Amino acid sequence: VTAAAEQLADELRELLADITGRAELRALPATTSLLRDGAGLDSLAGTLLLRQVHRRYGVDVAAEDINLDALETLGTLAEFIAARI
Amino acid sequence: VASGAADGALVKCVVWDIDNTLLDGVFLESGGQPPPADPVLLGVLRELASRGILQAVASRNPPAAADYVQRLAGLDFAAAECSWNAKPAAIGRIAAELGVPSGAMAFVDDDMVERAEVAAALPGVLVLTPEDAAEAPGWPQFSPPVVTAEARRRGQLYADRRRRQAAAREFGGSRAEFLRQVGTRVTIAPAAVADVPRLHELSVRTHQLNSAGQPVTEAGLAGLLATPGQHVTTVRLADKFGDDGLVGAAIMTGIPAGTARESTAASVPLVMMSCRALGRGALDALLAWLCRSAAAAGAAELMVPCRVTDRNVPFRLALAAAGFRAEPGAVTPDGRALFARPLTGDLPGLPDYVVAPDTP
Repeated sequence: VTAAAEQLADELRELLADITGRAELRALPATTSLLRDGAGLDSLAGTLLLRQVHRRYGVDVAAEDINLDALETLGTLAEFIAARI
Repeated sequence: VASGAADGALVKCVVWDIDNTLLDGVFLESGGQPPPADPVLLGVLRELASRGILQAVASRNPPAAADYVQRLAGLDFAAAECSWNAKPAAIGRIAAELGVPSGAMAFVDDDMVERAEVAAALPGVLVLTPEDAAEAPGWPQFSPPVVTAEARRRGQLYADRRRRQAAAREFGGSRAEFLRQVGTRVTIAPAAVADVPRLHELSVRTHQLNSAGQPVTEAGLAGLLATPGQHVTTVRLADKFGDDGLVGAAIMTGIPAGTARESTAASVPLVMMSCRALGRGALDALLAWLCRSAAAAGAAELMVPCRVTDRNVPFRLALAAAGFRAEPGAVTPDGRALFARPLTGDLPGLPDYVVAPDTP
């Protein structure tokens, strides 16, 4: 995991907490699943997260990743973004 | 008749000014006794609301002004922007909140400068004077061909949503806990003939949660209901804030009898759901039910052909969460991809707030 990806993961935790109103997501481990059990993001929160990622980092995850595998965990999403900025 | 570049497309939302438009006077200059409503425009507002067209206000007034007009009108606004911000910004926020593009909006204001600002910043908006608006019920843009019961209640449903979202922001726990807390009920059942107009409307109006991106006619739907082996399944949604009625549906093709189980795939040519159901567990419940139902009928795999667009990302997120995958690189030039999941092992579960009489 690169330093850039770790920095990004922290920023994504802030975004997630803002979007969901759930402060505990600021401490979300990088290896916890985002969608299903784990963070339990639903499609609304996931869409808002991807929209913010596109706006902030210019990375359109939905356009590049048909299966949205980048959303597997916070760590995979951070690395996906870090590899493209 | 009207300024602005709106090209005659159907109007889905009307944004009204308050002072000297919906009110016969200025709210804050009335010395404790707010002015009465303009009776003609209030009648137009009620008539358009009854046609399923959303009604909103954008006003340089405190929120109390919107509450006052709501009481006079006897209906709740789908959105209310009360601030000192410019009208184009207010209309932009209403468009985002309601998921209505500005090209499907009309704006009514007595002030020529406000009208000019909106027309310049948002060329898709149909900009009207109060005199224009008095005639609007007779215009084709304000005459949707199909007005279902759900459409007529739409303004109330958005008002319910404003209260639900405020509660969700207050609630600290997970989304699943919130859904239970507010008494969410998802009801899954086979479609009836009486559902056909609403199903057609959903096929036309839904984009964020739609797999096929193609409308289905009422005749086509009625034909599907009468065809053995084609299963049209509906989803209804309610909670303590309100009853959203029929919000979604799926078409699944049945399993041919006598086929060997391991070679059988069931297919879902259409999944569609209103964006009102976003974040409320209804789509996840429907996908889980489809998996369980197809597995019980003997299918080894469930396929969901999907038109991948920049608007139906929420649908793809739900597919991913339910374990569906497409072959990367197997997307056609017009964006079609085949998502599938095996029906072996752990199937997605149905939360306890789902009522599905025929659950396998």
